[in-house]
Amino acid sequence: MSSSHEAAPSKAFLAEEVRRYHHFIVLALWLAVVTGAEIVLIYLPLPTAVIFTILTLMSAGKFFAVIMWFMHLIYDKRLLFWCFLAGLVLAFATFAAVLCLFSADRIDTRWFA
Amino acid sequence: MSHDTHHAPVACKTELAPERSDLGLYRPDRATGWTDWLTTVDHKKIGILYGAFAMLYFLIGGVEALAIRTQLARPDNDFVTARMYNQLFTMHGTTMIFLGVMPFSYAPLSGTFGANGQALRFTGVGTDFWIIGIQILGIASLAASFNFICTIINMRAKGMTMMRLPVFTWMTLVTAVLIILAFPAITVALIELMFDRSFGANFFNPSAGGQPVLWQHLFWIFGHPEVYILVLPAMGIVSEVLPTFTGKSLFGYPIIVFSGAVIGFLGFAVWSHHMFTTGLGPVPTAAFSLLTMAIAVPTGVKIFNWLGTIWGGRIRFTPPMVLALGFIWMFMCGGFSGVMHSSAPADSQQQDSYFVIAHFHYVLVGGVLLGLLSGLYFWFPKIFGRMPNAPLGYLGSALVILGFNLAFGPMHYLGLAGQPRRTHTYHAGNGWETWNLVATYGAYMLGIGIVIIFGNLAWTAFRGKKCGNDPWDGRTLEWSLPSPVPEYNFAQAPVIATRDAYFEHKHGSKKIGAESDGGEAGVHMPSQSWMPLLASTGFLFAGFGMPMMAMGVPHAGWVVIAGLAVLFLGIWLWALEGPGGYMLKTPAPSGAPAPAETAAH
Amino acid sequence: MSDTAAAHEAPTSTGIDHKKLIMWLFLASDCMFFGTLISTHLLYRKLFPAGFTDAEGHQRFIQDLFSIELTSFSTFILLMSSFLMALAVSAMHKGQIKSFRRNVLGVIIFGLIFLGCQVFEFTHFYHKGLTIQNSVLGSTFYVLTGTHGTHVAIGVLWLILLYFYSFTGKLGGHMGALDVEVAGLYWHFVDIVWIIIFTAVYLVEYLGPYGIWGSGLPAVVK
Repeated sequence: MSSSHEAAPSKAFLAEEVRRYHHFIVLALWLAVVTGAEIVLIYLPLPTAVIFTILTLMSAGKFFAVIMWFMHLIYDKRLLFWCFLAGLVLAFATFAAVLCLFSADRIDTRWFA
Repeated sequence: MSHDTHHAPVACKTELAPERSDLGLYRPDRATGWTDWLTTVDHKKIGILYGAFAMLYFLIGGVEALAIRTQLARPDNDFVTARMYNQLFTMHGTTMIFLGVMPFSYAPLSGTFGANGQALRFTGVGTDFWIIGIQILGIASLAASFNFICTIINMRAKGMTMMRLPVFTWMTLVTAVLIILAFPAITVALIELMFDRSFGANFFNPSAGGQPVLWQHLFWIFGHPEVYILVLPAMGIVSEVLPTFTGKSLFGYPIIVFSGAVIGFLGFAVWSHHMFTTGLGPVPTAAFSLLTMAIAVPTGVKIFNWLGTIWGGRIRFTPPMVLALGFIWMFMCGGFSGVMHSSAPADSQQQDSYFVIAHFHYVLVGGVLLGLLSGLYFWFPKIFGRMPNAPLGYLGSALVILGFNLAFGPMHYLGLAGQPRRTHTYHAGNGWETWNLVATYGAYMLGIGIVIIFGNLAWTAFRGKKCGNDPWDGRTLEWSLPSPVPEYNFAQAPVIATRDAYFEHKHGSKKIGAESDGGEAGVHMPSQSWMPLLASTGFLFAGFGMPMMAMGVPHAGWVVIAGLAVLFLGIWLWALEGPGGYMLKTPAPSGAPAPAETAAH
Repeated sequence: MSDTAAAHEAPTSTGIDHKKLIMWLFLASDCMFFGTLISTHLLYRKLFPAGFTDAEGHQRFIQDLFSIELTSFSTFILLMSSFLMALAVSAMHKGQIKSFRRNVLGVIIFGLIFLGCQVFEFTHFYHKGLTIQNSVLGSTFYVLTGTHGTHVAIGVLWLILLYFYSFTGKLGGHMGALDVEVAGLYWHFVDIVWIIIFTAVYLVEYLGPYGIWGSGLPAVVK
């Protein structure tokens, strides 16, 4: 519904939307390809560290691709990106620290061993 | 004439044609009395509701504290049982932080000082109620915080750049950011605890390999930022009160704002300093020690900036100023013992002793409470248009500051002399008798001071002497408005040219402008709604139902489902109501007869 | 509609719509939420890599449970639903309400398929002996993926409401597109959380007998 008070979308705006549309299609294909590659990767006879590193990079790549294009961060005001990044970085740093704070040789096993 | 013009639009509101929402229901826009207060969307009325309930809960928390101190006044006392004592100190912490301090800063917060790990030790259904209670408060706090951040950064007046914002507003912004980033940790921790208790999960169950210490980590990942959530609004208030009563602008405004942000940021990186004695290992202990010490830097910067503000100023010792000065002094004492805790070897001596109680009460009472009381007294004439009685104000402030020091000063000594916290009673002969008695006297003195201050304010709200719009020679925009502030706030949206805009407007060359198009059309007001009340009622029933379900009350599960359904229905209908809103004509500056109103639909 | 919509479109200080800003703040907050849940799961995987003991007392590896085919399928479904959601938002921007309805219906169906996969997975795991009560692994796994599933379910519900609302004719213009965009942001976020879960919870478990988590001791007993 476009009421009389709303201006019709301009030509430039529509052209931009069409351009985005193509970006979305390309990105969807890439997401599918990368996910497929991840599944193949875990069965390849490579050192664990190498596979793990590549998996992490692929996952991060997919993550940022979705937030930048599907979630429009690349088209929107920069402030939104920083808002989200603050939460993301803080979550990552905090819980990386929590994971490092626990280790199997430091827990009390008397309760169950 | 200017005295009563601001009442005109409020009176006009009842003449507004009742407007139907998109649902075809009447909106309570023309409501007065109870209906108005239950459905209001006016942030000032919501603030008054917060304040009134906070005072009530504050008194309840105070009575709990006095019961604790009465029990500890003499050795081997049996004023309350040990079980009762446990409940008292848990609920004292919960009541004070969650329901007392939190709404006072108008930024709903929550926390559980002194309740670290308690939920694991207690059995019985009380804990289930506690979990649900905190969960509901947490969700409410999150919702309010999203709103605060959006309002502050997105709805500023023209010319009000971020670096012209009042410091109180800045600190509220930082606080809200801390809330939205800190609360999820406790939300998840409580969900996990609930699964453990209600569905037999093993998150914190040691016999299946669960780690109770993980609860502590998650609690403090939320709990330490929570400390700054509590104290930053008080710092903001003091940063407004000091310049007003010294006649000087705030010394080092950008540094104060920056320090506040740094404190907020560092607040996330120090949670494990509450857990040095759990044995984190040398590297984490050293890291958390250093980071904790680092927080003293921005805090110290703020203190020096406040001192710089009053240095050489024309100081007026009004009651809010007395309380603000008390804040600086007492908060510093709390900060000093805090730096002592940051050293892990010293901390392992002080852990769970009365020294810790002394430390955090110096921060929370000497710091936060004095700051909040100062702010309450400072903005009271703006909220109600009446000036509290000054001699009673001085008397109350003096009793609060003196009583507070008498109550919590000796606890430093008691802690170092070995008295453990959360202790129900103690035997004679440990050398603790004298100072416990002194602390109890101090607590009662503090209580009397609080009653005098609250009584003075409550009396003033209804019967006090009327005062002008700007009794303190204020610096920020709100003092340019009538007291009490009319529903529409600004008749014409102001245009700001400088920091401390109203002070400059009165005494300097930079005047406050007005947006030209605001006047004729009136001010757009949001419609009131019953739906938030409906949704929160559903929330309440769901919240009560869950612990009852765990208790085995028949059909309690249906109460939960019905509550969730009502919650969902309330939100859904609220969304379907449509934006609504109406135009409110503001009175002409000359005091012309009240203009007619038009509904937007 | 148009008058009030115009009144609500007053320019904001930052030029960002209120609803969009609030949604991004919520997502930042939700990062901490899922961060806590995911790290709880990984933490216990790190401490007890050996898996769990089922009702008959047999030691079970996590790889005995997981079905990479099922998880890959549901991951693919969720990624494609995200793509359709982006198209639905794009359609709203262009004012093509019919295209919006088509795409959003696709998102709803894909979301329901994902939820169906999850129900199947939970039943399957339960029959293989993993319960919420018999191990920490059960507790963390079910609560983490269950919470994610709840987010998906809320998203599906939200989109269904938007779908039907679009037939009232009130979903349009700038505010309508914004409502859809905000729902879309939520949906994409649920998708990116799954991108992390897919790697951190599922894929890394295939990198060795105890997943990425080392030697597998000490075992959990209960």
